[in-house]
Amino acid sequence: MEWIVLLLAAVLLPVFPLSWIFNRLIGSAPGPWGRALAILVLPQLGVLLLYHTGPLALLLLPLSLQRIWLMLVLFTSVFYAFRAVSAREISIWSRLMASSGLTLSWLLVANGAQVHSVALFVLALSLPAALLMIWAGMLSDRMGGAYLGLQGGLATVLPRLSALITLSALALVATPIFPSFFGLLQVFHRLDLAWLWPLLLLLLIWGWSAGRFLQDLLFGIYRGEPMVDLGLGITWAGAVVLFFFALSGLIWSGAWTGI
Amino acid sequence: MDPLAIIVPFVPALAALLIFAVLRHSKPGAARLSVLATLVTFLLSLILLGNYVAVGLPRVEYIGQIWGSIWLDPLTLIMWAFVSGISLLVHMYSVRYMIEEPNYPRFFAMLDLMTATILFMVSAADLITLLVAWFLVGVLLYFLLGHDTDRPASGRYAFWTQITYRVGDLPLWLAAFILYKSYHSLALPVIFAQIAAAPNAVQIWGMTVPAWTGILVALAAFARSAQFLLHGWLPYTMDGPTPVSALMHAGIVNAGGFLFNRFAPIFEYTGLALHIAFVVGLITAVVGSALMLIQNDVKRSLGYSTMGQMGFMVMECGLGAFPLAVFHLIAHGFFKASLFLGAGNAIGDARANDGVPPDPIYVYIVERRPTKPLRLPWLTAAALTILVPVLVLSLSHFFVATHLFFEQGVIVLLFFAWVTGAQALFAAHKMTHTNPWQLMGGILGSFVLVVIGYTLISHYFARFLYSHEASLRLYASASIGILSYEVLMIILALLFVGGWVLTFFGDAQNLGERISQRWQGGYLAIYALLSRELYINDLYVRVTQLLLSASRRLNVWLRWS
Repeated sequence: MEWIVLLLAAVLLPVFPLSWIFNRLIGSAPGPWGRALAILVLPQLGVLLLYHTGPLALLLLPLSLQRIWLMLVLFTSVFYAFRAVSAREISIWSRLMASSGLTLSWLLVANGAQVHSVALFVLALSLPAALLMIWAGMLSDRMGGAYLGLQGGLATVLPRLSALITLSALALVATPIFPSFFGLLQVFHRLDLAWLWPLLLLLLIWGWSAGRFLQDLLFGIYRGEPMVDLGLGITWAGAVVLFFFALSGLIWSGAWTGI
Repeated sequence: MDPLAIIVPFVPALAALLIFAVLRHSKPGAARLSVLATLVTFLLSLILLGNYVAVGLPRVEYIGQIWGSIWLDPLTLIMWAFVSGISLLVHMYSVRYMIEEPNYPRFFAMLDLMTATILFMVSAADLITLLVAWFLVGVLLYFLLGHDTDRPASGRYAFWTQITYRVGDLPLWLAAFILYKSYHSLALPVIFAQIAAAPNAVQIWGMTVPAWTGILVALAAFARSAQFLLHGWLPYTMDGPTPVSALMHAGIVNAGGFLFNRFAPIFEYTGLALHIAFVVGLITAVVGSALMLIQNDVKRSLGYSTMGQMGFMVMECGLGAFPLAVFHLIAHGFFKASLFLGAGNAIGDARANDGVPPDPIYVYIVERRPTKPLRLPWLTAAALTILVPVLVLSLSHFFVATHLFFEQGVIVLLFFAWVTGAQALFAAHKMTHTNPWQLMGGILGSFVLVVIGYTLISHYFARFLYSHEASLRLYASASIGILSYEVLMIILALLFVGGWVLTFFGDAQNLGERISQRWQGGYLAIYALLSRELYINDLYVRVTQLLLSASRRLNVWLRWS
């Protein structure tokens, strides 16, 4: 039974190779709103499964297997971040990056974090990923696809949508003052020093990936058909969500960091 | 709680929020608010600094419960005044300079955010505030450098800066967590007090915690201050708007010197990191200056000049002269800001009038007519060149800080100062002038004034920033074994004297041309190596391309899932 729980949780809080199923599930969800909902809900289901179906499945494993499991988690995280570096399609980029971040929740679980701590950590990563799915859908409506780098200079023709995509991407890659930054601090805080080295590599790759993503989004001269930017209402709604998300990171940083 | 102290970094942050919220479409409103906020910040910083000089004691103010604390110590107050002063200059300059650029209000909002973040960074009294501000500086700089989104080049070079900064963030993260897990506190004053009480009490991975954190903090400083192998981004930041270049070269790039000083209580108990800093700083100063000389692009040449200066600054830290590094970063900051912000006027003036006086150099180089050089007698010039700097430097230092006269770091610094002074006088001797005595007299007078001023100011800086015991501990920490030290000094002296002899004979016997004729292949290879900036950026780009290609292949195999 513990093994089944563990494997199911490893699909929902993606660990390689089961992370492949998680990504297929997100990718096959209907429409951008469906994908956004899936990326918000599935990892939370994983947390519930781990904490509410009896004793924690991971902690029942022998210590040596736990260590192997955690190494696999770190590998998954670095592996998906590395793969995200070459992704140009916004929803693919965001689910690869989300996979890279969400898998770290296992490190919190293994180090005795409370259920609400893990749930908040998961939310800190899945909310910006969900927003990116929505913005990708809106960009796709205008361009026929949400590929970056094919047309330069989107920031000039779609300044509002570009600003929202930029802020959401920054929120996903643990930029201060978003909650994902403080959540990552919690992971660092709970791990033994010897385990921090792969996380530093992960931070570097996230920075690289975000840099490439923004470079393709913001810079260059747009030479395509004229496009209509987001309406004021949607822009304000997105900005308010991101503002309160950042504010929650700033004000309740104790809850996110676990310190 | 002192509300005056707490509001300083919040003033520019509030201005930025107001611009984003209500002044996005008002160019004059955004500029006025931004300049006013920076002026208020600068004045408040000066008041707090003055207050501290009069009666103050260092103290920590808390905004949040876990993090968000501000350390009001001499380093913070000096850096606040410096940062807000440079920021005010850049703001005032940008009002007209950026008027025709798109996203003018956003530019001012970003400048304000950057100012606020740097103010938080230099005053952080806990590890989380420091990490947050340190990270955010890199992110904001990316957007400031990439302000002109129409140019792919500005995006490319903003990315180079961002990724190098990220490389520098990592050692600071690790250092922060080593300190937190070893001393169970986030507060820097508490951590430093525990280290001072028992420097070698905690060991990890075979070294003491101060040794590890010293090396990691030094690595973080190297990336921010463009030290060798992490310098490729700096000369290319010129693709951003000129005010950002000024802010970058005058302020942000100095973060390495600040970081060394903030963690000085750790460096008092670890010599290894300081020795590494000395070597890296020396290599950076030499490579930066060499690459500066070979550039044919004036702006890139300025970039490499900054790299060389940063090398000197890190080298000063490596010698234990921490307050001198703070003085250096401030002096260099104002000097570079004036160069960048005055560049437009200089170009404008040069277009109207080349301004070159018809002296013998002009006649010889531009008009290509022979001139009869007038110079001092060779022996007199040699005596003045070598003896005067020794006398002036030794005497001025002797009068202000006799107790430091026998520290190794001070002697090495005086040695470098002597070489620099001698080089300046030598260069003056090589210039031709109708009255060579008048020229040499002017140069000597300026030299004496500069040295005495520099020695006095740096001495008072040292007294303001550090206690006498802390200064001695830092110099002692930077010292090496007497034999190694003497060998190092002999090698340095031989290198400098050899360089002068080579220059003298090279000039006298036209050595350069003869070498280039005989070993033309090697000569061209070295020239190509330097003109391609040692192929370091090309190497990084190639490695990046290979990794990207591997990432793409993996994604295709796994069907992007």
